[in-house]
Amino acid sequence: MRNQANPWLTGNLFVLVLGMLPAIILIGALLYFTAWAFAFSFTDLALVGKKSVEWSWVGLENFERLFTRRGFLESLWTTVIFVFFSAIVGQSVLGFLLAAVLRGTQSSIRSVVEVCIMLGWLLPDIVAAFLWSATTSQTGLINQLIVVPLGFRPINFINEYALPIVTIANIWKGTAWSYLLFSAALDSVSREVVEAAKVDGATPFQRIWLVQLPIIRPHIATNMLFITIWTFTYFPLIFAMTGGGPGRQTETLAVFLYNQSFARGNLGFGSAISVAMLAIVGVLSLFYLRLLREPK
Amino acid sequence: MENQPSRLTAIALAFMAVIWVSPFSWLILNAFNPLSTGQLEIPRAFGFDNFGLAVSGNAGRQFINSFIIAAGTATLSVVVGISAAYPLSRLRIPGRNALLWTLVLLRMLPSAGVLVPLYFAAQRSGLLNQLGVIIALTILNLPFTLLLLKNFFDTVPIELEEAAYVEGASLLQIVTKIVLPMSRAGIAVVWFFSFTGAWNEFLLPLIFARVQDAFPMSVGLYAAFGQQGAINYGFLTAFSILYAAPAVGVYFLLRRNMNTGFAGVGVKG
Repeated sequence: MRNQANPWLTGNLFVLVLGMLPAIILIGALLYFTAWAFAFSFTDLALVGKKSVEWSWVGLENFERLFTRRGFLESLWTTVIFVFFSAIVGQSVLGFLLAAVLRGTQSSIRSVVEVCIMLGWLLPDIVAAFLWSATTSQTGLINQLIVVPLGFRPINFINEYALPIVTIANIWKGTAWSYLLFSAALDSVSREVVEAAKVDGATPFQRIWLVQLPIIRPHIATNMLFITIWTFTYFPLIFAMTGGGPGRQTETLAVFLYNQSFARGNLGFGSAISVAMLAIVGVLSLFYLRLLREPK
Repeated sequence: MENQPSRLTAIALAFMAVIWVSPFSWLILNAFNPLSTGQLEIPRAFGFDNFGLAVSGNAGRQFINSFIIAAGTATLSVVVGISAAYPLSRLRIPGRNALLWTLVLLRMLPSAGVLVPLYFAAQRSGLLNQLGVIIALTILNLPFTLLLLKNFFDTVPIELEEAAYVEGASLLQIVTKIVLPMSRAGIAVVWFFSFTGAWNEFLLPLIFARVQDAFPMSVGLYAAFGQQGAINYGFLTAFSILYAAPAVGVYFLLRRNMNTGFAGVGVKG
């Protein structure tokens, strides 16, 4: 525990508090705006028209609509599939495998692979969306290099396999984060432990599964927490690639929220969606934090 | 344990790297082709005409707008973050961890959720401009910035500060000569995250920037998709490359710091 009786701190309490002031004001603003977002979820506020001025309180009506009307539950299911396959299966597993394989290999291969996956991560969302629309279009790379030479007719991937394509694009874009985090985590595992396991006759698979994984479990939980939540609320890539379509195949909750709030102008209902999303995210976070705290 | 990867592993890795960069082929082939049609083809001509278009007029202004927003947000976040994170790390404030995590959790709310109140507030205070975007993004970044910076400051041994105090250093000297240099990697990471986050930001400037002069590149690119029905692919691809370049460039500049910095993102409850 830090000691409160450090003279350079206690002698300058005023300065320290003054330093915190800007942050306190901005955090206050954040809380204020969030409180308003909550309040809006109990109203029928609209973006345009009469109800943008003369809105009224409607109680829990917006939340009832979440479950009684079509849209929210379907969207939730799409989001679950998207998060599970792109974040948990794709980014996390692929990122870990890469980090484990590249650990301690010669630096040239490692640098090349690192730079390649970082390029995807660093690319702005809109550019990534643009790139993947072009790659999967009827005259795009996949059709010209694989589908057509094999004698099939070109496939319009973005129309026929929208959700898988968006999922792959997100794996492509996001794997670098998991890779970097796992890479740093594996570096913190002492070599002696791994060497000792090797001497005792553990196979490479056992060394990863039984020795390294348990040691970096806190990192895994942190990574899961971040990427699950980010993917859950991720908006620009899907929106710019498909806008939620075709039909509603790729309408994740973030896109559903945008469409309801800004395309249809139902700000009240939109706020109810974001409150529901916050509740889901909160439950997930508690689950991961428990995983993080549990003693080894 | 410098084990060479087996030949099979090396081939698999190389294959993966090729797949990973293959989508860029279309972007580059079209950007350097003055007669670009948006098809994936080997260009018959080669030139920088598209890049000329992409730095002049509106496009050039959008680049500057993006830079102002990104550098402004990153610097403001780091300055506000440091001055609050140091006291947070050193003073024993009850429930500070719970508070920080609650804030981070709150920020997980999709930004479209707080967009409406943010918009109303900015409209009332005349901040529907770049300064407004910078402040709004800083507000949205702050919980995460605070948590990361506090974790980095926690790793600076307090004994060093004690020793400096005994030698007669003031608080300002302790912070600028010991704490900041020792958490340089962490600060670089936080600055970089805020910079790329703001550079990429799409939704907020879309709603805050009402006139075309104020568009950053993200909004400009999105708007250019449907301009007059006909899409100038050569211009768009060159513009995309210019738009992607700074984030990539800043990363490689800070790369060494980044890799150490990431270790700190790790655990800390």
